Amino acid sequence: MTEAEPGTLPPAIEVNDLTVAYGEQPVLWDIDLTIRQGALTAIVGPNGAGKTTLIKAILELVPRAAGRVEVLGHPYREARGEVAYVPQRGSMDWDFPTSVLDLVLMGTYGRLGWIRRPGRRERKEAMEALEKVGMEAFADRQISQLSGGQQQRVFLARALVQEARIHLMDEPFQGVDARTEKAIVEVLRELRARGDTVVCVHHALQTVREYFDEVALLNVRMIAAGPVDQAFTEENLRLAYGGRVPFLQGVTGFHHDEAGAPAGPRGTGFRPTGGGP
Amino acid sequence: MSDGGLFHALLFDYTLRTVALGAGALGAVAGALGCFAVLRRQSLLGDAISHAALPGIGLAFLLTGSRATPVLVLGAALAGWVGTLFVLGIVKHSRIPEDSALGIILSVFFGIGLVILTFVQRRPTAAQAGLETFLFGQAATLMERDVLLIVGVGAVALLLLALFWKEFKLLTFDREFGGTLGFPMVRIDILLTTLLVVGIVLGLQTVGVVLMSALVVAPAAAARQWTNSLSVMVVLAGVLGGVAGVTGALVSATGGGVPTGPTIVLMASAIVVVSLLVAPRRGLASEVVRRFRVRRRVRADVVLSDLYALAAQHGESGEHAHSVAVLRTMHGGQAGTRRSLGVLAERGWAREVEPDRWAITLEGMERARTLFLPGSEEGGPKAHDAGEAAPRTGSGAAEMRPGGAP
Repeated sequence: MTEAEPGTLPPAIEVNDLTVAYGEQPVLWDIDLTIRQGALTAIVGPNGAGKTTLIKAILELVPRAAGRVEVLGHPYREARGEVAYVPQRGSMDWDFPTSVLDLVLMGTYGRLGWIRRPGRRERKEAMEALEKVGMEAFADRQISQLSGGQQQRVFLARALVQEARIHLMDEPFQGVDARTEKAIVEVLRELRARGDTVVCVHHALQTVREYFDEVALLNVRMIAAGPVDQAFTEENLRLAYGGRVPFLQGVTGFHHDEAGAPAGPRGTGFRPTGGGP
Repeated sequence: MSDGGLFHALLFDYTLRTVALGAGALGAVAGALGCFAVLRRQSLLGDAISHAALPGIGLAFLLTGSRATPVLVLGAALAGWVGTLFVLGIVKHSRIPEDSALGIILSVFFGIGLVILTFVQRRPTAAQAGLETFLFGQAATLMERDVLLIVGVGAVALLLLALFWKEFKLLTFDREFGGTLGFPMVRIDILLTTLLVVGIVLGLQTVGVVLMSALVVAPAAAARQWTNSLSVMVVLAGVLGGVAGVTGALVSATGGGVPTGPTIVLMASAIVVVSLLVAPRRGLASEVVRRFRVRRRVRADVVLSDLYALAAQHGESGEHAHSVAVLRTMHGGQAGTRRSLGVLAERGWAREVEPDRWAITLEGMERARTLFLPGSEEGGPKAHDAGEAAPRTGSGAAEMRPGGAP
């Protein structure tokens, strides 16, 4: 795969003037957001900020009151196959009678189209995806027998077999064990290395700087978005979370000596330089 | 009539054979389709559809003057569909929750249906219509052409179910994900709901509007107990539904005018009860056994950690033995310490050095250390017992996240 100049790549996702309302209450207000191709982006914000809704609005799972969404320069409906969705683990019925392999195979349904069933080739792909997330030994398990972290990794495997280039994940690190968190981060970096784009709704502010290249701070409105270095500042966090920031001390990775004047980033070296290798 | 006689009659009595075939086919179709209703938590929708079908039957008769089954079934299907649309519309456009919407539609349509039936029966020309059998069902009224209708339409419904299997599964398990794959989930939903309506109205003559939903829900609920695979569940529910249909209809047809609906429901209920009790893994009996095992293991682990703590205090390899009485006091004098020590001895984690004095073994020390590790999911002691990796609580349906954080 050849990398074009960063300037010539269309954005992975371009959101313009997006507004979503449930009843009279706006959940998202006039959102503009550009997701850079080939980067890991975190969507961060307090509870009820509309993070999940933003992802669902991009995927047309909730009706938009206004706004446009483009994926790789095309309307979402035309570029649907390029986008994989990892829903929140807690929203599923994990008692559903199906096996791990079966669940992962659902990722191939879109490619198969109507009526056709997954065959040997799809099974092989699903097993490979399970291997990538370290769950191949669980292929025949019933999904209710999985732990939270295992459920999350299986979801990730389902997204991997979709062969999409953009991955939207709703809280992939929510309530998972340390080992799963590490496995997921590794997969995300592999995806980035091959030029894929990943967008995660993310809760743990202390890992934003370590895991992600870009961040979007959201609280109904878009507070700030851009490279972590520039956008993930204490001031922006204060704007997004509204004053209650004692718990934010230090998470931005800035030293603040006295008067709160940021003394420069601590420089975790995860930002890829330029447009990749 | 003796069993042999019944069997003989089933083979050679034309009426009984017709009835059994019709009710069996019906049970199979309703059972298979019912799996999706149950898994989508729409069991009540089946009830609403069947009750909503009653005015359709009455109106179809009033308008056409015919009581031919296809005419009445068509009327029932249309009314059932309209009822379903009303439910969906109420949920979408008002603040009334789904269960209330189902209750409203069910009772309103059923009420209208009863009024129409009463009106029909008062008319002198229609005294012989016999529409009231649609309330509780009368398998004995099944004619050969009725059975052909059930078998034919039912086969088409099952064929469609097999054809769109993947899409229905996607709809049932993860509708939103299906939407992101580009499938028109609303249309798939409409198709599946239509199949459910068809399956239900086919059974109204035999089972009746009041109890038809039992034939949709019961076989599926029973089948779920026995398997963790959707395809096995659907096939099994079809078989169980067929068995309930055949036995219920036969008992009703030979038992002197007992309505068929109640007898079929009794058969289906028996199947459900047995499944709830004795099914492996999900059954009540195995749940009790599992809980007992878990408790025994936890108690043994508690005693083991006590032994470990004592050994640590004495600061040597653990050859130092302690009396049962000491161990018992360590957890508040609870009974069962001796039994727990027995469990530990079986596994080689503790040994009785001299009568009533116990010491932890090296393997026991190893095991105790893993007990103290903070809950790394894969490293924990439970991960080795595959079957018990996620202990289920209660009936299990509500508890969906075994590993969920507090």
